[in-house]
Amino acid sequence: MEFKKKILANGLAVIGEINKSAKSAAVGFFVKTGSRDETKEINGVSHFLEHMLFKGTEKLNAFEVNEAFDRIGAQFNAFTSEENTVFYAAVLPEYLTEVTKLWAELMRPALKDEDFNIEKNVIKEEIAMYKDLPSFDVMDRCRTLHFDGHPCGNSVLGSEESIDNLTAEQMRSYFANRYAPNNMVLVCVGNADWEQICSIAETSCSKWQKQVVERKLEHCPGSKKRERVEKPNLACEHICLMSPAVSARDPRRFASSLLATVVGDDVGSRFFWELVDKALAEAATMQFGAMDGTGAFHSYIRCSSANVRKVLDTINGIFHGLSESGITDDELTKAKNKTLSALVIKNELPMGRLVDVGFNWTYLEEYRTIADDVNAIRAVTVDDVHSLIEQFNPGDFTQLSIGPAQST
Amino acid sequence: MAERVDKHILKNGMVILGEPMATVESAAFDFMLPAGAALLPDGCCGAGSVIADWIFRGAGDRNSRQLSDALDGLGLHRASSVNSSHITIGASLEAGNLAEAIDLYADIILRASLKQDQFELARQLAIDGVLALDDDPRQKVMLKLREQFYPSPLGRSAVGEIDELKTLTAERTRQIIKNKFNLSQTIFAVAGKYNFDAICRQIENLFETQQRTPAEPVKPVSKAGKYMHLHNDGAQVHIGLMTNTVKPTDKDYYNARVAVSVLSGGMSARLFTEVREKRGLCYAIGARYHGLKEAAGIMCYAGTTPENAQETLDVIMAEFKRLSEGISEEEISRAKVGLKSSLILQSESSSSRAGGIGSDYYMLGKVRSLDEIKNKIEETSVDSVLRFLRNNKFKDFTVVTIGPKCLK
Repeated sequence: MEFKKKILANGLAVIGEINKSAKSAAVGFFVKTGSRDETKEINGVSHFLEHMLFKGTEKLNAFEVNEAFDRIGAQFNAFTSEENTVFYAAVLPEYLTEVTKLWAELMRPALKDEDFNIEKNVIKEEIAMYKDLPSFDVMDRCRTLHFDGHPCGNSVLGSEESIDNLTAEQMRSYFANRYAPNNMVLVCVGNADWEQICSIAETSCSKWQKQVVERKLEHCPGSKKRERVEKPNLACEHICLMSPAVSARDPRRFASSLLATVVGDDVGSRFFWELVDKALAEAATMQFGAMDGTGAFHSYIRCSSANVRKVLDTINGIFHGLSESGITDDELTKAKNKTLSALVIKNELPMGRLVDVGFNWTYLEEYRTIADDVNAIRAVTVDDVHSLIEQFNPGDFTQLSIGPAQST
Repeated sequence: MAERVDKHILKNGMVILGEPMATVESAAFDFMLPAGAALLPDGCCGAGSVIADWIFRGAGDRNSRQLSDALDGLGLHRASSVNSSHITIGASLEAGNLAEAIDLYADIILRASLKQDQFELARQLAIDGVLALDDDPRQKVMLKLREQFYPSPLGRSAVGEIDELKTLTAERTRQIIKNKFNLSQTIFAVAGKYNFDAICRQIENLFETQQRTPAEPVKPVSKAGKYMHLHNDGAQVHIGLMTNTVKPTDKDYYNARVAVSVLSGGMSARLFTEVREKRGLCYAIGARYHGLKEAAGIMCYAGTTPENAQETLDVIMAEFKRLSEGISEEEISRAKVGLKSSLILQSESSSSRAGGIGSDYYMLGKVRSLDEIKNKIEETSVDSVLRFLRNNKFKDFTVVTIGPKCLK
């Protein structure tokens, strides 16, 4: 593995982790923009824009774009979160140059009115699809309730209303600022020819204009509000809990992630033994999500209506126990073992590695080897976890539930 | 590229397969136990999910907690699944812990405690799992589709039926485990970093028995189910559609795979182009090949709002029917590149290879090398695919919809 870096004059960072023994390569553009960078009027524009990049450029129409990817057998897609939009592809090494050129071209899309109008329907279908996935819906609503006015609570998809009102012109102006080269990173990993990647970046991206790009960074303590939404067509209760945590740059992110594993990994955690093993809840997990300038612990629990009270009491008991007596050495060791093996397995695939290398650069402007992360995880102590619990008290959470009509 | 497949058969008939991967530090393994949903006695639908949970609740001299701690201590990631033919239990982990993990899995398969109180919990979770399916119409529609499409009991739901789970007893389930965990028909598959001789010795010590028990054949009964609608006041109509095609052992198997890829291999494929790109009817639309040993089909999913649902279904059906009218060289070439590339990209993951070699052996009685598959894909042509499509016209479609509106 060899790390490479080049910063173009316009600020575009090009980074690579080259591994000549890999059978494939992956490449991606990481754009530092997402729903938290939107105003209420244009909510959903980042995600909509992600779709529009596939609609082509002045030279290539949407059908030609799709054909160009499929001709080289690329496994490609994109995703948008609260603060990142990522475009990626995994290919056989011989096609890396071609797919990188294609992505670079697509980063300057035509954003035509006619494409915008037809894609609006697809976005509205996607919003409808997630409405039928309560496990997703509950997280989305809880995030909004938790961040309570803080931009990290903005919905990634937007609402049917905000998408209806969005204009192509608003999108073009958002694009012109947020897709500035100094707000983007081009990442390649795996069996790649670094000189080729640099030469593509120089040729295709050096004309892009640098911009002043801003993002409001404030920590959010969370609203701690509690709400329930009734949906008569549901069969189960879906519960989401959210509480504040450290940010993506905080060295305590490793301890935070281990704490979430101790409390809410899908097997062998406290949630597992108290809720799932005892069949009180069918699913109960907790995760740590690090963000720019802030962070959150979020838990998802699915149970029958009859068990809701008992489940919530049990959860309160778990968090109370955590504050009173902390975690044990044994729990921390198990969490480390699971986290370390997951890290190794994920990073064996260029696609898995792309995401880690890309986000490390996006958040830290730092290259971290797998060994750096392994060592950071190994170094976490029980005391580190205890001071996190003390400072952030994860038992003091925002709560949102979605479920069927309650029989009283 | 790893082209060696290791194979050893115990005296009792249990098959051990391995695919070494030079560049990884992980290993993944699967035990494929011949206790799939179609092989269960009538009236026990869902017993597979109960069993896959129950056997982990204590085994050998370890109780539930000790067993889970031992697995977590190895940092392994469990993966259990139930399909028509098998209950598969496996894991991925760092290669150094493989031998210890196999010892634990031998206890789970051969010496599970199967205590009454733990049975009640496993059964309750299985019932809750069926309920949770009501809140995930996208997954439910595909389960119902398989149930409707395949001759009974091949399409039987692996998740289960609430009525049958409610009457399932511990005694009955113990009997199923005793009868169905037939080592003569069990396949063990490992991929990644391992020592095959050591694994064979270990498995032999743990699993060798004197008797060889033949498999009990399934006698499928055709059913007449064509269209089924389940009402749900959700945001979308979830459409599942399935039509008959050749089995994995058929000489035309690769022609069928290429044909499906022309329909739905990438974003330039027909369904995505016609349904989403040109008409904006859906967000999620796709078709894939689904093969059992006894029968196979092409299954298609689309999720769309009620006002677009009828047109979506009509366009999908028209695309299926139009396929045999003509395919361009360019389309075939993209389909072939796509299939070959995804094959190679998947070959980098130890867990996907362990699953791949195990299912190959079950379906075909041998493991295909990557080169063999690549060559077979390469041999297909516009002529061969069209000839196949004309000899195997899509005639009957099984359709299931879930949502607020019934279709014609």
